[in-house]
Amino acid sequence: MKRIMLVFLIAVLSLSAITAAGSQETETQVKEIYFWHAFSDAARSQWIQDRADEFNAMQSDYKVVLETKGSYRDTLQAAVLADKQGTPPHLVQLFEVGSQLAYDTGMFKSVGDIGSFDTSDYIQPVLNYYTINGTVNSIPFNSSSPVLYINKDKMVEAGYDADYVPATFGDVIEVLEAARARGVSGAKFSVNLHAWFFEQWMAQQGAMLVNNGNGRDGRATENNLNSQAAINIGNFFAELSRKNLYTYTGKFEDWGGSDAIFQEGQAMLHITSTADLGNITSAVEGKFNLGVGFMPIPDGTERNGTVIGGASVWVAKNHPVDELTAARDFALYMTNMKNMVSWHKLTGYYPVRNSSIEALKAEGWFDSDANQIVAFNQLLATKVNAATAGAMAGTLLDNRTIIETAIQKIIQGGDVKAALDEAKVLSDAKLKEYNANF
Amino acid sequence: MISNGQDDNAIFSSRGLLLLFLVPTMLILLVFLYFPAWHSIVLSFYRNNLFLGTRKFIGLENFINLFTGPLAPAFIQSFFQTLVLSGLIVAGGISASVFIAIQANKKIRGGRIYRMLLIWPFALSPAVAGTIFLFIFNPEVGIMNTMLDFLFSIKPRWLDSPYLAVMLVVFAAIWKNMGYNIVFYLAALQNVPLDPLEAADIDGAGSWLKFRRILLPLLSPTTFFLVFTNLSYSFFETFGLIDILTTGGPVGPPGPLDNTGITTTIMYKVFQDGFGGSSNMGFAAAESVILMILVGLVAFFQFSYMGKRVHYQG
Amino acid sequence: MKGKSRRSGDLRRSGKPILSGNRQSAGYQLSAGKLRRKRDPVWIHAVLLTAVFLVGFPVVFALIKATQNTAQVLSPSMRIGSSLLYNAGRVLGVYKLGLYMKNSFIIALIVTVGKITLSFFAAFGLVYFKFRGKKILFAFIIITLMMPTEVLILGLFDLISKRPALSFSDFAAWFFNPAKLFFSPIAYGFGWSSSYLAIIVPFLASATGVFLFRQHFTAIPRSLADSARIDGAGPVSFIFHVLIPMSWNTIGALALIQFVYVWDQYLWPRVIVRYDVNQVVQVGLKNIIATGDSVYWGEVMAAAVMAMIPPLIVFSLLYRAFMRGYALSSNK
Repeated sequence: MKRIMLVFLIAVLSLSAITAAGSQETETQVKEIYFWHAFSDAARSQWIQDRADEFNAMQSDYKVVLETKGSYRDTLQAAVLADKQGTPPHLVQLFEVGSQLAYDTGMFKSVGDIGSFDTSDYIQPVLNYYTINGTVNSIPFNSSSPVLYINKDKMVEAGYDADYVPATFGDVIEVLEAARARGVSGAKFSVNLHAWFFEQWMAQQGAMLVNNGNGRDGRATENNLNSQAAINIGNFFAELSRKNLYTYTGKFEDWGGSDAIFQEGQAMLHITSTADLGNITSAVEGKFNLGVGFMPIPDGTERNGTVIGGASVWVAKNHPVDELTAARDFALYMTNMKNMVSWHKLTGYYPVRNSSIEALKAEGWFDSDANQIVAFNQLLATKVNAATAGAMAGTLLDNRTIIETAIQKIIQGGDVKAALDEAKVLSDAKLKEYNANF
Repeated sequence: MISNGQDDNAIFSSRGLLLLFLVPTMLILLVFLYFPAWHSIVLSFYRNNLFLGTRKFIGLENFINLFTGPLAPAFIQSFFQTLVLSGLIVAGGISASVFIAIQANKKIRGGRIYRMLLIWPFALSPAVAGTIFLFIFNPEVGIMNTMLDFLFSIKPRWLDSPYLAVMLVVFAAIWKNMGYNIVFYLAALQNVPLDPLEAADIDGAGSWLKFRRILLPLLSPTTFFLVFTNLSYSFFETFGLIDILTTGGPVGPPGPLDNTGITTTIMYKVFQDGFGGSSNMGFAAAESVILMILVGLVAFFQFSYMGKRVHYQG
Repeated sequence: MKGKSRRSGDLRRSGKPILSGNRQSAGYQLSAGKLRRKRDPVWIHAVLLTAVFLVGFPVVFALIKATQNTAQVLSPSMRIGSSLLYNAGRVLGVYKLGLYMKNSFIIALIVTVGKITLSFFAAFGLVYFKFRGKKILFAFIIITLMMPTEVLILGLFDLISKRPALSFSDFAAWFFNPAKLFFSPIAYGFGWSSSYLAIIVPFLASATGVFLFRQHFTAIPRSLADSARIDGAGPVSFIFHVLIPMSWNTIGALALIQFVYVWDQYLWPRVIVRYDVNQVVQVGLKNIIATGDSVYWGEVMAAAVMAMIPPLIVFSLLYRAFMRGYALSSNK
């Protein structure tokens, strides 16, 4: 008995102590500006934290408070729900496929509507994606596109020139088969099972992911998941898998896992984001020579270019004007010329500003490492059209899961056409449900 | 359950005091359980997108979509997966814990220590269990594969090959609930009367027979109680475990199981459809109505079975 | 203590903690029927040791890994390292687990105390008062046993997160119109999603609690209540002088169940809580793992171990009461 009474006593005492301590925290005059982002790894989140600290030290009226939501999906969902509940954060880092959904919620304000927003310094492909209905909606931040990573040592072992870059799916398979025939270990192709690459390959073929001009001429009503362009991609995975030339961790969207496969020498060719260039370069140092090239495309198609991938910073509108201005100021500070240079060097994301690129050129950054320039060239060689502007549709998040499921079925030996047909039916059903809300 | 002679102890009759005592509980149950439950049902007749904040009455469309059309196979798969996963968790968990509890309850050296070491996982949470298992069974760096690789040169892909992932979730779920089950069995074994067992000893009955004929029936009220708490556990509380360990995946092998993740339970699907993707709360509500029916059926069996076989003493 | 001694023999017999062995029943052995003490069969020890290992290994493993540094943690080494404080510090500070644990603790305490209080009084009303409709009221409470938060999570989400009506007339137009209140989805809610209230208030009532207390009260002989009446004790003095002293076991059992339940909550806070300031420990634990590219397992294991300490402490403090007040009596 006594024990339980004691427990209760302790409970009540500690509770009152905590509440007392809590109420002592005096309300300060500093207004808090919340920025929700998706990075929880030490390097990138610390970089953002440092920028916030600098900004907070520069003035004393506002304090930027950071919270990470772990992933792009979770960040978007958390932000929209917070708004529905009446407590949105000020700034939200949103990824490209969430654009339509974010736009449709109506919780965001176009940055151009908060004071003047000078977009002239941003590189064109980046602006293309984030321009909705003619205005740039959000502040470009971290942008990347996929490139081919090559284990040059294995390439030489396979009897090719060290600088050879397979340009098409056919080339990839030919190289891998030649390597296998020569007994090269890890003669495999590795790409993380992520629909982002599917989206990129669609754009490379000049194909739209959804109808109505990729959802930019009008609200998309159909997904082109079983078009010839999509089948080309499906066939590639089917052939790789049939010939046992493909390797992955088995999990969807497993960035780190697939990089590890390549870094450990278990794959000869690997596709992933330019944002991983820094990590991969340092991870393979001393192990093998690393090459980087344009991402291979389906045979017989003309290279159309990549979609800009990554995220931008959106401003939620349900806040007082002064807080919105401060929030925008922080986002612009974080993405200013100097900071974009350091961001690029740290992570491999493109510096989204022309001035940052010039600064990097001036200091000879691109000369020091030819691999960095490849990613840029691929981006700058991109043709400006609806395919490379990226798709807009409210259900692109659902589509990613649907596409990944379909590709996994193909890898497991399923029929390409059947898997993609099914994906189309399912994604159309989701889109129809979504559009019925309007 | 509602015992007879309800009013045996009814000695007070102050109306005001009675209201003061009863109203808070009633109000909270009404506002935060009955009302939301009812509204979940109402919601299932609407198209409701959480992100857009739109609502439209669409009659039975959500329910029709559960069973026909492109969205149906995933739901039907998750429905059967819920049954199978729950079956495995309940059967595995209960048979393991009854066996262990019987051994631990024997008069042996160190029995007290054994019992102590077996019941503490009572305090484990599904999320913690998921976290620890995620590391142990990590295919690249987990201790399990390091050992298997060393001993047999194999590295099973626990988290992404379909059947292994199911096994892992079931095993983790059983492990998490082991302490709880054993506590109740140990408690029940304390109350098992000695006489029938002694009589059986004199008859020379074998231990299996004794277990079947005497111990099992005597433990049946506990088993019965645990079957239902474990069912509810595997329907709902495994959510945290699944969310951390497999996020509902991986997609099953080609065939009838390739429509959604093979460890996606109805509860997980409600979460995915309602709060994830492009959010379809109405559809998720329809799924949760099916879940309610399932829980209702379980409760119905519980009450009717309880009335018949188990001598409850209220 | 006095009160307890007057309780029925049946309940008293169940008051034995299982750890301290049991004269009455621990004596039988399945394999060897003799009651006299003999050598323990080896296989029982083998079985129990295996069980203890299976049950304990994952946590011991987590505990050891929590002490190792980044390099050791990925190796199969099971040596105790020296990075426990570093890992714990990172987890408590950088990953805000300290904040989450404080939140969970406050919430668990309030809900536990609130639930026990409310259900104690509700059960008291049900047992010690004479009134019509008692059975219906009891059924109303007991039916909620089959309504876990999870199945009604969509409705509850709306109710808690929708903003309240701007004016009373708006609210009245909805609330007092049965057609709207009952047949259209929740129009106004509490707007609590950025406060603790969202994870506290919906859980303050408990069917389990009412059921346990009611069961306990009905087992108390009527004569006790009568003598209290004769002494002229009103309900309040009866509660404080007779009933509460007799109910410590039930209270302790319920405290354990509810504390662990609230501490372990995952799904509801995961969907309703938006800001880290209000987040709870289990969801916080998930956030530590969701670090995308590289997971620092030593830190994650430290977090997992820390997240299980408070319920373990509560368990060890209240487990005797739990045995007497719940496990032994409720499931017969």
